[in-house]
Amino acid sequence: MKRALFYLVLGLAAITFLYPFLWMIATTFKPPSEAGTLSLLPDAPTLDNYRAMFARAPVGRAMINSLLVATTVTASVLVLGSLPAYALARLDFPGRRFVHGVTLAYLLVPSQLTLIPLYSLIVRLGWVDSYRALIVPFLFNAPGVLMLHKFFLQIPRSLVDAARLDGMSEVRIVFGVFWPLARPALATVGIVTFMGTWNEVLWPLLVVRDQSTMTMPQLLTVFTLGGGAGTLGIQLAAATVLIVPVIVAYAFLQRHFIESMAGGVKG
Amino acid sequence: MAGVIFDHVKKQFGPTTIVADFHLEIPDGKFTVLVGGSGCGKSTTLRMLAGLETVSSGTIRIEDRDVTHSAPGARDVAMVFQDYALYPHLTARGNIELGLRLRKIASAEIERRVQWAAEILGLGKLLDRKPAAMSGGQRQRVAMGRAIVREPKVFLFDEPLSNLDAKLRGQMRVEIGRLHRKLGTTTLYVTHDQIEAMTLAQLLVVLDAGKIQQVGTPMELYRKPVNRFVAGFIGTPTMNFIDGDIEGDAFVTKALAIPLSPARRPTRDVSGKVTIGLRPDELRLATDGEPATLRGKVVVAERLGGQTHLHVESHGEMIVAVVPADRDIAPDEPVGLVADPTRIHLFGGDGVSLLS
Repeated sequence: MKRALFYLVLGLAAITFLYPFLWMIATTFKPPSEAGTLSLLPDAPTLDNYRAMFARAPVGRAMINSLLVATTVTASVLVLGSLPAYALARLDFPGRRFVHGVTLAYLLVPSQLTLIPLYSLIVRLGWVDSYRALIVPFLFNAPGVLMLHKFFLQIPRSLVDAARLDGMSEVRIVFGVFWPLARPALATVGIVTFMGTWNEVLWPLLVVRDQSTMTMPQLLTVFTLGGGAGTLGIQLAAATVLIVPVIVAYAFLQRHFIESMAGGVKG
Repeated sequence: MAGVIFDHVKKQFGPTTIVADFHLEIPDGKFTVLVGGSGCGKSTTLRMLAGLETVSSGTIRIEDRDVTHSAPGARDVAMVFQDYALYPHLTARGNIELGLRLRKIASAEIERRVQWAAEILGLGKLLDRKPAAMSGGQRQRVAMGRAIVREPKVFLFDEPLSNLDAKLRGQMRVEIGRLHRKLGTTTLYVTHDQIEAMTLAQLLVVLDAGKIQQVGTPMELYRKPVNRFVAGFIGTPTMNFIDGDIEGDAFVTKALAIPLSPARRPTRDVSGKVTIGLRPDELRLATDGEPATLRGKVVVAERLGGQTHLHVESHGEMIVAVVPADRDIAPDEPVGLVADPTRIHLFGGDGVSLLS
């Protein structure tokens, strides 16, 4: 009896969480006459909303832009972040504590604070309306370094010693020994970075005005707020297309994601 | 030719001296053991030879080549670690091969060496397993395999048996000794365990507080310790020490007098206190009516099966004696102990032996 109650509460919570999401997907298959209803099953299912969306906005191009930006940034954050993370975790050099402190302190700086200086820098460099403006400022990030650093600290020092005696260079130790052992941490940093970059709207709105360079969320925002989308069904179709890649990425990496939240290196 | 030379090597971390003026020549092919308590600098010394720690001053040479500033991978040394340090994502074979692959050795040669190591160490079925699926002893054998396939000039062992249980430790100790006899490679082995030190070493180096206390064969150190530290460190149970004075040709305290045989009298002038050292296994129970060196009362009798360790309280001192187990001795029983007069050790107030 107690158990049934427990599941009832959990079920309610799940419905609260899932319903808006399912409703959004359902609505994309509804004709405009049904769009306002709360039902999850369209009476007359249609793909018109999707057709209209693809016809009115360069969604395909925006999708490619988004993928390009998010994967480049994610790959770079992992590769470039691993090197300082390793150095902070396993190398002795003067000023190490200072560098670690500065990296930590950077977490306290809200991104809104650097928005304007960064924007004016991009304008001076003449990078407005280019991929560079979307990618370069984010190639490297402090939270990524710190998360990897924390995980690298769990990898025994003797493995570094053994690798050095085996004749590996420090860079090779990072990618040949630490990377295979740090997959959960890499997956976590990867997902967080990918999602963050994918969902970013504010920065692209500032530096990109040309439709062919816009990322998906930006295009979607411009498209719906600008009134170009028309009906609710079309707006939600665009939103649905936006979240698909994130769900796919998460589905692939969630095992590692959970692992990295739950535990350390085994073996 | 010397296998390894430490030429007045020093290691400092800031103001702290970890290793002070370490000077040692290890003859080619010798199994050398560095032994000492924790923090004595033995691991640091080993790691300096491996290139994993920098040297503050002095030079290190391997077969006459100065390697003081060479990278670890360029020194032609291989190391076995306390925690095995196997790459968890590689199989035993992957672990053993990696160092050879990085050195661009031909595949056929790698395969030959892996098979050779597998045979010597009995790795057969383990080769395709990952470390997580192996026991501690198996991991340590794989780690040794990784070291021997490199065919290095020097093997380094850093407390390799400390993580194993007592039985396995005994087996692996024998295996390491056998491996050295087979390969004859110069070896430096670090341990805090004096049984490993005594049984494995051809050359034994006792370290304390970053300084070499004595170098010699295990039996030299056992029979002629140059100071109280070495005397107390080598041999189990630990040597008994009693403080007193020299009067004439005898060692005396308030309660007892031990005459010294001619060979066991101080070779230099003694002023002040001295300490006499008696090994537990060189004390025996006095027979009825025999004049005993020490008299006292048994406090604890530890029966180990073949022998018994007697803890005897004698004139305020706790004395340990190793006696045969054939006699039942109960606590509180009065006993007399006889010391072999030719095996007595004598140390000055500074701890240095008075006999050499």
